[in-house]
Amino acid sequence: MSSKRRSLAAAATVLALYALAAPADAAIDDYVTFSGFGTLGAVHSDYSDADFIASVSQPRGVGYSRSWSLTPDSDLGGQANFALTDQLSGVVQVLSRDTADGNFKPTVEWANLKYDFTPDLSVRLGRILLPTYEHADIRNVGYSLPWVRVPVEITYASTATHSDGVDVLYRLHTGAVTQDFQVQWGTTQLDLPGLAFTLNSAHIGLLSDTLQYGDASLHLVYQQTDPSQIPPGRLRMEGVGFAYEPGPWFVSVDSNRTHNGYFGTLLAWYVSAGMRIGAFAPYAFYSATHQESLGWSSLTSLGNQHTVAAGTRWDFAKNFDLKLQIEQVTIESLDDPASFANLQPGARAGDKAHVVSLALDFLF
Amino acid sequence: MKFSALGSLILAVLLAANARAEDIVVIVNPASAPLSKEQIADIYLARNSAWTPIDQSAGSSIYAEFYKKATGRDTAQVKAIWSKILFTGRGVPPKQLLDSTAVKKAVAANPKAVGYIEKSAVDASVKVILPLS
Repeated sequence: MSSKRRSLAAAATVLALYALAAPADAAIDDYVTFSGFGTLGAVHSDYSDADFIASVSQPRGVGYSRSWSLTPDSDLGGQANFALTDQLSGVVQVLSRDTADGNFKPTVEWANLKYDFTPDLSVRLGRILLPTYEHADIRNVGYSLPWVRVPVEITYASTATHSDGVDVLYRLHTGAVTQDFQVQWGTTQLDLPGLAFTLNSAHIGLLSDTLQYGDASLHLVYQQTDPSQIPPGRLRMEGVGFAYEPGPWFVSVDSNRTHNGYFGTLLAWYVSAGMRIGAFAPYAFYSATHQESLGWSSLTSLGNQHTVAAGTRWDFAKNFDLKLQIEQVTIESLDDPASFANLQPGARAGDKAHVVSLALDFLF
Repeated sequence: MKFSALGSLILAVLLAANARAEDIVVIVNPASAPLSKEQIADIYLARNSAWTPIDQSAGSSIYAEFYKKATGRDTAQVKAIWSKILFTGRGVPPKQLLDSTAVKKAVAANPKAVGYIEKSAVDASVKVILPLS
């Protein structure tokens, strides 16, 4: 692990040096672009028998441990893009957010080299974010999301965020339809649902196709994960998402179904809509996760919960937005409900948590 | 006398308003094939990587007006879309050039480039493919 981190750091340094060594007669910003993003978020829950968490792998949230907190939604990321030649580019992204370790230790989210064989065919080598669900690869970039955070339910069954390996991106134009194919293969680390906070290394393979027709897009994905430890064996996930975003309003639906011998079959989905009124973009969503069939574990109703949420985004200044989100999360089972950690003996199925989140998103 | 002063004031105001709402045109290299309005929207919303979109300064009124008319998005929405492209490692936002003269120069030099300028700034170095009024 540490040697992998070291080699990634070395790769980043090489990239940086290469960029610095680029012809001196051109401005440095022709070769390297620095950018960053962040969120300062405060969240409160009125439910004291468990902690509401903003991402599945967080060990602590709000409700039981404390009534409000800045840690679940706040993050800070920095990125450097390197244009090495017309075909070869590199990207390194470092992110700090509250993770499974319960700290903000920065992690390397991206570190890859991309080679464009044609404008429509590229290969990337290195650390690559996984597009497991809609918005998965920008889950930490609050400014690019319509909500405070991606509905937690859809993220429940796959906590892997990136893979170290290779992917191929191919864009196919057929009349007015553009398809983006992605084939990804590598190794990753994931935190399995219902189990203690242990990271399991795994081989991961992913196929995805995003069809774009004007303002409408359809996202299809198949992901296969083979954790090195048994249980639970192979997890297969297929996802379907649809979005229509003409500008003045949007509607989006996303879903995935995960199959595993140990956990059984889990279904997660959400439907969301919003509109744009001047600098404001109010929205609402309904999101649920549901165990459809049992595996050979004794875990039933794994992850089960549903959320009703409403909120608004306010673009009050260039590169800043402020979001207010109010949600009611209903716990349907005590077997690891997706949005909660630290369940207390007093928790009951049917309990509802009322959560208020305020987030300031920014780009720099 | 008074009336004519008022008349010229009104005329001046109308002219000024007209100048502010000046038509924008989308331009390509004279050697390039034309693009449809849908294709132009795709290029500026990061859905078509075969072309190189060129922007004017994000704070300018021509920038805001172009995106409103060509894509139906306001500047914050456009920023959100391009930051998604940037932070997913798929590409970088279009280069922002200082003014229409700089955009013309860049388009004249690159057959894969697309730009937008005021209609009054058009000359033979570029080809107009779509007026936005």
